[in-house]
Amino acid sequence: MADARVEKLAKVLVHYSLHIKKGDWVRIEGSAVAQDLIRAAFIEVLKAGGNPMTRLGLPRLGHDFYTLASPAQLKFIAPTASLETDQLDASLSIWAGWNSKEFSGIDPKKMAVSQAANKELFDRYLKRIASGSLKWCGTLFPNYSSAQDAEMSLSEYEDFVYRAGNLDKRDPVAEWQKVSRAQAKLVRFLGILKTIRIVGPDTDLAFNVAGRKWINCDGHENFPDGEVFTGPVENSAEGRIRYSFPAVHGGREVENVRLTFKNGKVVEAKADKGQDYLNAMLDSDAGARFVGELAFGTNYSIKRFTKNTLFDEKIGGTMHIAVGASLPESGGRNKSSLHWDMVCDTRKGFTVYGDGKPIMKDGKHSRF
Amino acid sequence: MAETIAGYSLSLKSGEQVLVLASVPALPLVREFYAAALGAGALPFLRTFNPELDEVLYRHGNDEQLRFVPASDRLDIETCAARLAIRGDENLATLAGADPARLAIGRKARKPLMDIFMERKGRGELKSCLTQYPTNASAQEAGMSLAAYADFVFAACFVDQPDPIAAWKRLSAEQQRYVDFLNKVKTLRVEGPGTDLTLSVEGRRWVNSDGKANFPSGEVFTGPVEDSAEGRITFDVPTLFTGHPVEGIELEFRGGRAVKASAARGNDMLQSALDTDERSRYLGEFAFGLNYGITRPTRNILFDEKIGGSIHTAIGAGYPETGSTNRSGIHWDMIKDMKQGRVLADGMSVYENGRFIV
Repeated sequence: MADARVEKLAKVLVHYSLHIKKGDWVRIEGSAVAQDLIRAAFIEVLKAGGNPMTRLGLPRLGHDFYTLASPAQLKFIAPTASLETDQLDASLSIWAGWNSKEFSGIDPKKMAVSQAANKELFDRYLKRIASGSLKWCGTLFPNYSSAQDAEMSLSEYEDFVYRAGNLDKRDPVAEWQKVSRAQAKLVRFLGILKTIRIVGPDTDLAFNVAGRKWINCDGHENFPDGEVFTGPVENSAEGRIRYSFPAVHGGREVENVRLTFKNGKVVEAKADKGQDYLNAMLDSDAGARFVGELAFGTNYSIKRFTKNTLFDEKIGGTMHIAVGASLPESGGRNKSSLHWDMVCDTRKGFTVYGDGKPIMKDGKHSRF
Repeated sequence: MAETIAGYSLSLKSGEQVLVLASVPALPLVREFYAAALGAGALPFLRTFNPELDEVLYRHGNDEQLRFVPASDRLDIETCAARLAIRGDENLATLAGADPARLAIGRKARKPLMDIFMERKGRGELKSCLTQYPTNASAQEAGMSLAAYADFVFAACFVDQPDPIAAWKRLSAEQQRYVDFLNKVKTLRVEGPGTDLTLSVEGRRWVNSDGKANFPSGEVFTGPVEDSAEGRITFDVPTLFTGHPVEGIELEFRGGRAVKASAARGNDMLQSALDTDERSRYLGEFAFGLNYGITRPTRNILFDEKIGGSIHTAIGAGYPETGSTNRSGIHWDMIKDMKQGRVLADGMSVYENGRFIV
């Protein structure tokens, strides 16, 4: 029996997030786990007059690829992938898998070879998204693997996911438009600030954000959404921070991360678990020790940490600070192959200051 | 794997009724086992575990519905000669959000069935075996790909060897040697980093767990004398207690009782478990893990407690067959890697750096 919320989600994704128009060439990618949402989106794109195409993942093929591929095979780029990158009008990525640890035994070097080979293509993809010529949205279809990571049953997890996307409301699109207007106000308020300082347990970290742009994330590129972010001035981070949530990246969890910044750069990094991985990531290139993103999570329907960045970084009242690449639309200029969002639970014992005045206390904004 | 379980663990005979309890993802193993059981002339029949339905029941059911046990379930357990339970979940957290009080109602309603099962097992009328089918959910919990996890399970079950049954018989014979030796020992002293614990095992029986009731197995265990534990011990293998991770446990014993306890992670869970009842601060089990096909923890007690080169102790209930008299509502196995430790038996070193030297 179909869950009516799946159809509702497909409608929001196709009409609100991606705003599909007649004649749009639309790629829908996801694994077979997500087949219900893939089909619902396919139908919605057809109804909107678009031309849907699916790219389906099957269980264990990714693992087989990294296990068996030679360097030449790792570097292979299908001509079709290049064509799609240049010519698609819209692309919907649906995240859902069988096992969040499927790649844990794969040599990170092999994955890096493939990533490096795909970099040029990926840059072209990002450039088209930034310029508005390609519409992109990433979303998640509730599945057993993600539910287990979140320590929930599948039906509890479905409720969690759909509530975070306002799909429990009568008119989700109207809700997201409301979110967008409220966040626009916050963006205007933050836009006049020169400095942001985060103070809390084992934390006192200051940034210069003067001249940078705050971006309103209102359900277009991520769904669900709910954050505002900017790229702080690259050499400005000064002080230290401790993350009480595990930092999740590449199927790994790094626990109790403590970072110290001088002139924008991470000069000391400690973790209780996953120290080697943290070091390796921070040493991946010259930009990996600098902050690319500073953001407020504004989705107050998301309260629980579920080991999935799509949701965790949006928890209402939290902040996240990404080391590595900045997103050019914010005015950030940091370049790196890394972009690791680390979420700081600022909802308890934290005060955030803007130009010296408190703007958020225990997760509650003064202007939001 | 199916042939080893049918031929060795359950040693099925012609005409025996075999109850197979399995979850849906484990059906490929059920099919293989079905063929092996039929081949032995036995009478296999399948009942399924349905965690997703249990979740619906515990969410929506009234007390009467929670207490309902089909009469056929009782008949199954009263009449079968063998019972194979195959775990293999799609989501290990399916019941994580269920109300513990409501879960307890369901457990209580099924207790008479559990009692029949234990009694028939005790009288030797019923052979039982618990095993694990490798699924993505368990692989994910172990932090492994499904391919790597399946290899792990097969190595732990010795089914990657040319003759698995011969390998289990070898393990059984070797463990029996340790059991015969340990049955004559009065005191054990465990030494290692952060650890110096003395126990009396005088008059207690050691049990050779050799791949029959658990598959895989590979441990020898007893119930230590209840008031004998003295000293302290640290456990470095992460454990789960009622699904919650607890790590870095340190216990200090006086007169058999854990008087001091701390955990680096999940300390609240540890403290509340220790305060469950009168006897939950006393040891119910002491064991050596001897399956050297298991080389790493996977957050699954079926495998973790048998890691070759580890020991484990359980706080709470002891197994009556060992002579243990400790009764408690909990039984929590805590595991210690012994690659840097030793065990003295009546003052003589008998186990060093993860291996018996007797």
